[in-house]
Amino acid sequence: MWAVVLGICLFTIGLWGAITRKNAIIVLMCIEIILNAVNLNFVAAAAQHGDVTGWVYTVFAIAIAAAEVAIGLAIFLSFYGHKETISLDEMELLKH
Amino acid sequence: MSGAMDYALWIPVLPIVAFPIILFLGNVFKGTDLWRGKWKEGGIIATVVIGTCLGLSIWLIVGYIGQVTGNESVGQIGDWLSFHMVENGNLVSYTIGFGMYLDHVSVMLLFVASFLCFLIAIFSLGYMNTDPVNLDRNHRFYAEFLLFCAGMLGMVLADNFLWLFIFWEIMGLCSYLLIGFYYERPSAAYAAKKAFLTTRVGDVFLLIGLLILWNLFGSLDFSVVWAEDNIAAVDAGTLKIALFMMFVGAVGKSAQFPLHVWLPDAMEGPTPVSALIHAATMVNAGLYLVARMFPFFASPAMEGEFTDLAILIAWIGGITAFMAALIAFVQRDIKKVLAYSTMSQLAYIFTGLGAALWFANTGHEEIALLAFGASMFHLFNHAMAKGMLFMASGSVIHEMHHAHHEVSHHGSSESAERDAGGAAAGVDHAAHGGHEDHDHFDAQDMSNMGGLASKMPITATAMAVGSASIIGIPLIGGFWSKEGIVGAAWQASLTPGGAWMLVPALLVLITAGMTGFYMSRMWLMTFAGKPKTPVANGVVEQTPFIPIPLVTLTVMTLGGVVFAGFEFVHWVADGHAEMHFTNVLSGIGVELKHAFLPSGEENGALIYLVTMLTIVISTIVGPAIAMALYGGRLAKGEKAKPWLAWLVSLSSRVRRKNHFDNSTWAESGLADSLHQRLYFDAWYDAAMLKIVVPFANACAWFDQHVIDGAIKGLEYGSQEGSSVIRRLTTGSGRDYIMMVALGTLAIFVLIWGVA
Repeated sequence: MWAVVLGICLFTIGLWGAITRKNAIIVLMCIEIILNAVNLNFVAAAAQHGDVTGWVYTVFAIAIAAAEVAIGLAIFLSFYGHKETISLDEMELLKH
Repeated sequence: MSGAMDYALWIPVLPIVAFPIILFLGNVFKGTDLWRGKWKEGGIIATVVIGTCLGLSIWLIVGYIGQVTGNESVGQIGDWLSFHMVENGNLVSYTIGFGMYLDHVSVMLLFVASFLCFLIAIFSLGYMNTDPVNLDRNHRFYAEFLLFCAGMLGMVLADNFLWLFIFWEIMGLCSYLLIGFYYERPSAAYAAKKAFLTTRVGDVFLLIGLLILWNLFGSLDFSVVWAEDNIAAVDAGTLKIALFMMFVGAVGKSAQFPLHVWLPDAMEGPTPVSALIHAATMVNAGLYLVARMFPFFASPAMEGEFTDLAILIAWIGGITAFMAALIAFVQRDIKKVLAYSTMSQLAYIFTGLGAALWFANTGHEEIALLAFGASMFHLFNHAMAKGMLFMASGSVIHEMHHAHHEVSHHGSSESAERDAGGAAAGVDHAAHGGHEDHDHFDAQDMSNMGGLASKMPITATAMAVGSASIIGIPLIGGFWSKEGIVGAAWQASLTPGGAWMLVPALLVLITAGMTGFYMSRMWLMTFAGKPKTPVANGVVEQTPFIPIPLVTLTVMTLGGVVFAGFEFVHWVADGHAEMHFTNVLSGIGVELKHAFLPSGEENGALIYLVTMLTIVISTIVGPAIAMALYGGRLAKGEKAKPWLAWLVSLSSRVRRKNHFDNSTWAESGLADSLHQRLYFDAWYDAAMLKIVVPFANACAWFDQHVIDGAIKGLEYGSQEGSSVIRRLTTGSGRDYIMMVALGTLAIFVLIWGVA
């Protein structure tokens, strides 16, 4: 039960960071926190119900998260090459 | 028979298929020598297509007549559309089929339509293609011409009222297009609009009538609505309303009072169009529709229910006949005389049909059939004669135009050269229209003609025979049928309960004499006397193709006696009677007796008197007055053909003996109001200004402010709203994440709240 509370706390911290921070790398880290909060929930639920599905999903999510971080960092690197900054305020191309 | 019936579908389909082909080819090859010369700008295609239709029609007709039994044959080709309707809570499915219906009436009209369309196509080859004004746009004429023919032929063959209506509307569209062929002239554009809108009034009524009919019978198939059991099952009052509505449609199409105003103006179209629409085919559509109402009136279940409607039809006919003949007295435009004559003669047929329907509805079946046959035969005779008269008038106008061209360019070698270069002729024509008296010279005005009998022998003969048929000179064309109509109307008025028929009967009797006057007047003003202008002096009959239809129709009209000998009237009335091909002479005897004593033996002496009176006033009194006023010898040295010379010298002799001055009456108020066509146009214009224009303005206001306002408000609102919402689109990833988070939170809250 406390694992779920910890999960919610981690999720909120991650969300808060993702919304408020400018630095893209920190935002990426926050997203990792969110993902891990979810993973924690999965594991806790799996333990509660004695069902392996949650653990399988967790392993899966960790693998995908690693790939996602790699892609995210590559995008930031490329963005830095263009604008010499990775501030999220500069990333507003979606407006156009 | 069955063989011909299999191909019957092609009769309306072929022209419809050829219509876009000619338009397409015309637009591609426009201006090339091959297209202009060999193909006559599509005229050859049109003639061949219509010729094929005529061949198929004759095949069909011969098969039908040969069958003798006279039973109508129905060729159901297939289902056109089927749909479901909820009626009293039940789902009922309906199917509207498409097929061919052939009986004596449609056979007769099929022949008239295809035969005249074919002759008019040949006429057009001469008339349209030698006029430089039409250069490089004749293909449009021929294409529309074919579509029109398709409409007429399809309407005649249709086996239900819905298809009849569809083809009817195709004709309406084509009449609009063809009357407005010279759309660059404001008068032609106006006339086209007027014809379209006036007939539209009738068409709306017709559609309402058909919907009521559908409501009553659940079908519009002839075979269903004419079935005796079905008629007996419906409410007579509602059926009468439906029939009345359909009759109004017929009134619009056949240019009867009070929807007649479009026909004279429609003469703005090229002459072949006048012949096609206003004599041969379209105006007969209304008569055909009324003729198709016959089974309703003849049904024993409805006996005595529709007498007032029949009397109304006869009244409309009588009034129109009289009024149109009166207006025709003063017209100087040769085509306008013919237009009013058309109205008048169609009105005769309406009167005859009214009498026939009245007899049918009061149980006098035998007389009803005879009156019906006489009306249909008059339709036949009138179509032949009037088609020929229009083509003859076209011939006169064309040659007058040509002669005027020659006269006004006499001595000017430059323009003669330009004329010779055919390609430049169109430009030339348009260019000199402004500064010479081309505009002031009216090639259709009869007061510019005169003395053409010797110069245009074929046209003059055709015109004389056609006029004789319209007048009803004994033994020629219209005589056989007109006597029948007048007699039937009188017979109806003398039958107990038919006193109301007395007025139309009297009117058609008087009109017979008036017909004699105005037709003779037209012929004499055009062909007798000395040429009234130098232009008329220079007229030569030279255009190719034009004589072919004239001669053919002259023979047809003179052959009216042979048709009468076949006992055509009895055949077309009944369908069960046989055509007597072998005993023509005895048939003529039967018909002659019938012509002088049109409808049975009752009141024989009085009917005999009436018919004799008709003959006397129409063939002697009317023409004699016309001769006294307009007769005259030809110029010195001119020699007409013997049969025409006789007529001309007779007219001059009558005039010399009985010359009287008509200037007082010509300047009277009556003549003036006749010149103004009895002010119908003025009244309608005033009614338009008082009623239609304010109503249209109100509609326009409603449209601009309410409907457009709503749409514009919606547009403005969404524009404003979106510019507010747009600010939310910052493009910053963090904002989007926040929105996603808030949205998710909202969803959770909602779920939690619901749970």
